[in-house]
Amino acid sequence: MRLFLCIILAMFWSIPAAALVVDKDTLWTGEQSFSEDVRVLPGVTLTIAPGSVVRFTDARLEIAGQLVANNVEFSGENWDGLILKGSDAATQLSDCIIKGAATGILVQGGAPILERLTLSGNKVGIALRGKAAGRVANCRFIANRKVGLFLKDDSTTAVVDCYFAENSRYGAYLYHARPQAFQGNTFVNNATGLMIAYHGTDPEVNDNRFEKNDIAIQVDRAARPVLRNNLLRDNQTGFHIYRRSDPLLTGNRIEGNVVGLLVAYSSYPEIEGNDFVANQTALKLEFQSSAWEALRGAAARAGETSSRSAFGGQGKRSVSEDDRRARRLDGTVNAKGNWWGDVGTAELVNIGTAGNPSFIHDGRDQATFVDAGEDFPLDKVVHVPWSDVPFTESKP
Amino acid sequence: MKSTLTKYIILILTIVLSACTPDSESGLSGQLLFQDQPLAAAQVEIYLKADKDRSVQPFVVATTDAEGRYNISLPEGLYFVIGKKRESTNDNRTRMLMAESPANPHQVAEGMTQVATFNLREMGREGLPMADASTGVSGQITHKGEPVARAFVYIYTETETGLIGPSYGEAVQTDQDGRFTINLPAGQYSLVARKRADGGRSGVLSPGDLNAQYPANPVEVRSGERLHLGDFHLTGVDAEVYARRQAEGVFTKTDTMLHGQVIDADGQPVSKVYVFAYLDSRMVGKPVYMSVPTAADGEFELYLSSGGTYYVGARSAFGGPLEPGEWVGTFDAQPDHSITVVRGAKDDLGQITVREFW
Repeated sequence: MRLFLCIILAMFWSIPAAALVVDKDTLWTGEQSFSEDVRVLPGVTLTIAPGSVVRFTDARLEIAGQLVANNVEFSGENWDGLILKGSDAATQLSDCIIKGAATGILVQGGAPILERLTLSGNKVGIALRGKAAGRVANCRFIANRKVGLFLKDDSTTAVVDCYFAENSRYGAYLYHARPQAFQGNTFVNNATGLMIAYHGTDPEVNDNRFEKNDIAIQVDRAARPVLRNNLLRDNQTGFHIYRRSDPLLTGNRIEGNVVGLLVAYSSYPEIEGNDFVANQTALKLEFQSSAWEALRGAAARAGETSSRSAFGGQGKRSVSEDDRRARRLDGTVNAKGNWWGDVGTAELVNIGTAGNPSFIHDGRDQATFVDAGEDFPLDKVVHVPWSDVPFTESKP
Repeated sequence: MKSTLTKYIILILTIVLSACTPDSESGLSGQLLFQDQPLAAAQVEIYLKADKDRSVQPFVVATTDAEGRYNISLPEGLYFVIGKKRESTNDNRTRMLMAESPANPHQVAEGMTQVATFNLREMGREGLPMADASTGVSGQITHKGEPVARAFVYIYTETETGLIGPSYGEAVQTDQDGRFTINLPAGQYSLVARKRADGGRSGVLSPGDLNAQYPANPVEVRSGERLHLGDFHLTGVDAEVYARRQAEGVFTKTDTMLHGQVIDADGQPVSKVYVFAYLDSRMVGKPVYMSVPTAADGEFELYLSSGGTYYVGARSAFGGPLEPGEWVGTFDAQPDHSITVVRGAKDDLGQITVREFW
């Protein structure tokens, strides 16, 4: 068997290959170079030996069978990346480097195991779609040009203990996806660490760390995730809750950010049991008004509820205005039961329950904002009662 | 005299401007029922084409209110209305309710057009009207003599579409032994089976996928009969055939052509973007022509089989709604994105600017 495999690999040794269909179990080793697509047929296993270097020029590696690769470098010129089509857990990539591709790894369905990979300099590091499952663990997403990790299409892939740094747009983007776990990940120096967007995107995001991002976590366009026990530290903006999004924020430590939590455009998150520590502004409301929402919210979103032409600039999802309507419009944003830090708590004790905390920017600081020539009252934050003790521990 | 003239001008302007006021919203309104009761939270889908050619996403989707009513704004045109609702019954069974408006199609002109109230019907497991459990087809899907698990079997009641595109009912998946059983009402059916390498239910087949039409199509199913079809053999999609069909399809070169370049907002060429031509100014559904994806220089050639007025857009994906990360843009020399082409001409569209949708 080994002799057979060696013969097979020798056939491919460092030869710029033409179009190639791999229709029997095959082992690659050493340096491989391909200038046309390589397809691995269903039922066939391609194994790439540790230490191998595989390069593609204007081509892709498409796996409809299984791929087993450990400690392999994939790179190339104008190359598409690896495409895993319906791969099961028998497809395992570990300790590999994938760089410079359009999409480093495109997972179309299936449940592959991707561990300790480094995705760098790709447009998109890993994209998971088509109800993909499986696991992405201990991977590093570095300086990808658009998105480090993209989860779409009701994918449930677990994303744990990964590191996202210096990705140009988003470290990770969840779009109509609900990972089995999104936990233990670290986001540093991304434009936006984690984007959770569009109605129907309701994942749980627990125990992650976000540091020095422009925006640590953005929740947008009516998404309703649960954001629990995360650390958001030294970001420009910690949470950005935007465009009719109603997440649950609880158990998070929001520390040292320019703005800890920014709530904008008719968003009504539940904010309870969090610690706000040493932020320049702990909580800020911006273009946030129940009166505006009641008067103009539905009309402003009307163009998004219909499946108009893609060229009209709207995505389509079967979402009705009723799905997105705010359930409670009383001019307040609920932030009861949070700890506002030692300094903040001392100020609250000093000014009393009717006071206007300096660390919250709301309708008490800015009575109105203008939209289409009309004044609308800015909502107010309900911060009373507050907690006298923190919910989280300081972390190094 | 000058004062009188001014009054006339003001009067005329007032009449003209009031005529331009968009206070008469056009569209469709109506009510869905199930067993003659109002059906809340049902989906109302609006299509531009008749059912037998409904291989595209709906033009508009809306949801009925608590009284089963809907009110959908639409531009003037001809529309097909379908009501749907998937729900769980008290015995934890999932059922699909569905019906087309008996009065399809509906013409929308000025104002809201009332669609006559209609009842949805409960569909069977395959999306067909409830079938007798003792009537239907069964068989086994194989490839090279081996059973094919998790393949999809599609039922068609019409053959005009070439047995491609959405089947009439929901596709049924084979079990671990490649076996399938489908309950059907008595009638004549054509069967197709496919196994995509990515496990998908739909999408363009590519090399590595398996595909076949049942050789004895159409099959006649009689009431009370369980028709055993035996083995149903799949064959692999051949890479060469696939490439040839791609080349022969919408990309066929003709003597009528539009060309140009796709760029981003910074003026940089954008690669891997398709350019589409539509006959419908709304630019929905399937385009009539499309280019191959742009290369690194952003240049495109879009071949047309005849002259006429086309509406041109560019997008980095085809089919389905826009998704974050896609490039999208339109030919904007005319506000409606149109270009009128003379047969045999090769017109330069110049540059089409695309933006990323997030």
